[in-house]
Amino acid sequence: MKNTKLKLIFGDVSLGVQGADFHYIFSYQADGMESLCIGGKEWLYHVPRPAFWRAMTDNDRGGGFYKKSGMWLLADSFLMCRNFSLSVDGKPVTKFKAPFNNQYTGNEEAQSVTVTYVYQTLTTPETEAEIRYTVFADGRIRVEGIYHGKEGLPQLPAFGIRFVMPTPAVKYIYRGLSGETYPDRLWGGKKGEYEVEGLPVTPYLTPQDCGMHMETEWVELVRDRTMKYHVENEEEFSIRFSQDGSPFAFSCLPYTPEQMEFAHNREELPPVVRTVLTVYGGVRGIGGIDAWGSDVELPYRLYGDQDIYFSFIITHGTNKN
Amino acid sequence: MEADIKWLDEAGVFRVGKLPAHSDHLCFLNEGEAAGGNSSFAESLNGIWQFCYSKAPKMRPADFYREDFDAEGFGTISVPSHIELEGYDHVHYMNKMYPWESLSFRRPPDVMEELPKGCGSFAEADYNPVGSYRKIFDLPKRMQGNRIILRFDGAEQAIFVWLNGKFIGYSEDTYTPAEFDITPYIRDRKNLLCVETYKWSTAAYVEDQDYFRFFGIFRNVWLIAKPRVHVEDMDVRPTLSRDGDYGTVRIGLKITGEWDGAWARICLKDPENRTVEETVRSLSPKTEIVFEKVSEIRPWTHFTPVLYKLQVQVTDAEGKVVEFAVSPVGFRRLELLEKKVLLNGQRLRICGVNRHEWNGRTGRCISREDMRRDMGVLKRNHMNAVRTSHYPNQTEWYSLCDENGIYVMAEANLESHGSWQKLGETEPSWNVPGCSSVWERVVLDRASNNYELLKNHPSILFWSLGNEAYAGTALAAMNQYYKEKNDGRLTHYEGVTRNRTYETKISDLESRMYASPKDIAAYLEENPAKPFILCEYLYGIGNSGGGMKEYMELFDRFDAFVGGFIWSFMDKALIVKDNAQGKEIIRCGGDFDDRPSDYSYCADGILFADGTEKPTMQEVRYFYEKYEA
Repeated sequence: MKNTKLKLIFGDVSLGVQGADFHYIFSYQADGMESLCIGGKEWLYHVPRPAFWRAMTDNDRGGGFYKKSGMWLLADSFLMCRNFSLSVDGKPVTKFKAPFNNQYTGNEEAQSVTVTYVYQTLTTPETEAEIRYTVFADGRIRVEGIYHGKEGLPQLPAFGIRFVMPTPAVKYIYRGLSGETYPDRLWGGKKGEYEVEGLPVTPYLTPQDCGMHMETEWVELVRDRTMKYHVENEEEFSIRFSQDGSPFAFSCLPYTPEQMEFAHNREELPPVVRTVLTVYGGVRGIGGIDAWGSDVELPYRLYGDQDIYFSFIITHGTNKN
Repeated sequence: MEADIKWLDEAGVFRVGKLPAHSDHLCFLNEGEAAGGNSSFAESLNGIWQFCYSKAPKMRPADFYREDFDAEGFGTISVPSHIELEGYDHVHYMNKMYPWESLSFRRPPDVMEELPKGCGSFAEADYNPVGSYRKIFDLPKRMQGNRIILRFDGAEQAIFVWLNGKFIGYSEDTYTPAEFDITPYIRDRKNLLCVETYKWSTAAYVEDQDYFRFFGIFRNVWLIAKPRVHVEDMDVRPTLSRDGDYGTVRIGLKITGEWDGAWARICLKDPENRTVEETVRSLSPKTEIVFEKVSEIRPWTHFTPVLYKLQVQVTDAEGKVVEFAVSPVGFRRLELLEKKVLLNGQRLRICGVNRHEWNGRTGRCISREDMRRDMGVLKRNHMNAVRTSHYPNQTEWYSLCDENGIYVMAEANLESHGSWQKLGETEPSWNVPGCSSVWERVVLDRASNNYELLKNHPSILFWSLGNEAYAGTALAAMNQYYKEKNDGRLTHYEGVTRNRTYETKISDLESRMYASPKDIAAYLEENPAKPFILCEYLYGIGNSGGGMKEYMELFDRFDAFVGGFIWSFMDKALIVKDNAQGKEIIRCGGDFDDRPSDYSYCADGILFADGTEKPTMQEVRYFYEKYEA
């Protein structure tokens, strides 16, 4: 029998959201969505977090971008959750934490549930970014990323939501532009469906941001390994991130920006053990005028005093092998 | 004459016993041989040579050239190669600073009023590596009895040459051929060729290019036989009429040997090998021929690189065909008209790239296959032009450009960046070549080596005086040298924008590097004095290439925008086996314990050092396909 409603478990430290083939956990103590489990496969190693940094390119470094904007690296590195809020079927629920959750029976159901995490940034001045998850009865998750611009904040390298997944992806497939594209380097990209084997890191001699894919309609990640005890090889399984109205940008790499930032050459990069998917609502161009002083052209900058909003949908993957 | 090591320290000595530069036309025994492409006049001396490395001139085996020298202690080396990549000395990358930075205090001769005695000597230095090469060879039977030329296609940076114990000559200018007449000393068997190559000499002041610094014999070495009557030089001047209906070819031949009573059949062939024009002339040391109003000419352009051929079949006084010389001919007309550059009446749009000769494993010692691979990359990605940054390339590259319709900016071997720009500031308190009459002779020699060698390649549209060498009377003299050739090409030099005093005397084009689209528009909007070209733009280090659109839109906005050359073609990085990991990795400056260094700035191409294209290439391909013309 098809379950047409979400089952909600109001725990003492988290909210469990269950459906026919999925189980999500929204933690009150881990500062984010702690589990994204579809078909018995876990997709999260850390809680998703707002992304404020991308590893500096040679042009960023040469142009001194970090001098003014370096604080975004700190904001990216340390997660500070300020607030968690919840609404069920569109109605705000305020008293759900212990001891108020004693009121529940374990039979709570809903058509949809919306969970919002508000993060504060480790910047001066500080501002807030939000990640809002809305789970629907069929398991779809609508994810919204919100950046609250604030006067006095420097340009951002990027703004997005980063998912660190437990094991390296076998491949990813996306519909969008061919090749590695950025806001100021995308006219040569051809729209189409592309499959990328493994998690390639473009072999720039100095590790730096790479692998960006602008104007993406959807991306599907395929893995064949979990971190479960006693399980070695599994069938391939997948997850899909789709546009919610407008296309998004993403990169799918084996490293966080911090891991890449502090590797001075390729040999210093750590072994590949995770998948790091970042879905972006704002990306700074990479520039190209020179590598010793010029900034990227005006239309390709992300200003710290301007709001950014974007959203996308997470569902089961369709990849069946 | 005897060799004198002091020449290393004398800027004004850069060629001793060296033959004048001449065109790179190909010479064969006869037409049949020409069809096969392999000349029996040439014999390669490449291969394994005896070799001894010394850290300083005073440590070198100074008498190694003597026939009675015991070379027991010598090792071996491959010729051609860079000495540093063969395991001697050390690998070092630096951009602007001179390679002796922090090691020796030096100032060049002939630019400062007073130079402390011995300041910066190269001959007496405690560190100035020397490569002593020895090669024993027999003269092939087919060449015996002929005049014999010894030719180095490229040797860095100052070389002394001996044959059979006799001093033959001295040469600088790393990137153009050094030829010596060894006829008086050559034997049929067991010749001993000895070459001393010095890492540094005063030439280092004008060879301060941004790359891994190497020395040694890094291009081919040849024995060349000259037949009894020989075409030394061909000056082929094809022109295209304004309406494009007909062409004219003016030909000047320099003939040496027993020309008296000799004659030649001079023939212009079309690409289908049909004779278009033909004449028979008796020969004299200077023989001139004109083919006037050749009709139904198909012009040479990027999209239709129609190549004609000029063939000179030389018959000696006894009636025997002794030589068959061939040069490419391309009919095109380059004009600078109302701040526009026109090729065959059409606006020229340069969608170019700067190319160093580079192979990740062998450095600037590259093969024919490397060149063909590079040309494939250019064609596939719709690049229509190449700047030979920053020195003359192997001549075969220009032939490939002729055949593939690639426009060439042919740069002379000159860069003195460290002499006038320090810590990023323009600081020309001393600079070379500046306004020195001695250095003027040095750079004029380089201009002439570049011009004389390459003058017949239709692909060359621009003569570039050099790169980042500031500006003074010496550069003005170079410009004048090219202008006096009156060969229909334009001159180019970016450095004059750093010293505007010489603006009207140097460069037909306003050339800048890394100017922003906004700055270019500002120049072009205000009644520009010259058409504008970007000799370098879109610096390719790491993940770059953003904002190409803004540059390309300048084509639409300004007729006087000629386009530009992307910096650069390939990462000048080295593929090495990493001891720690036991696998091949790509390394840049600073990765060889080389200090001081400019680190990863050598990795600034749109190709990785292993030849794979960087992601930015799809953008380049897109825009260059749109604008190539």
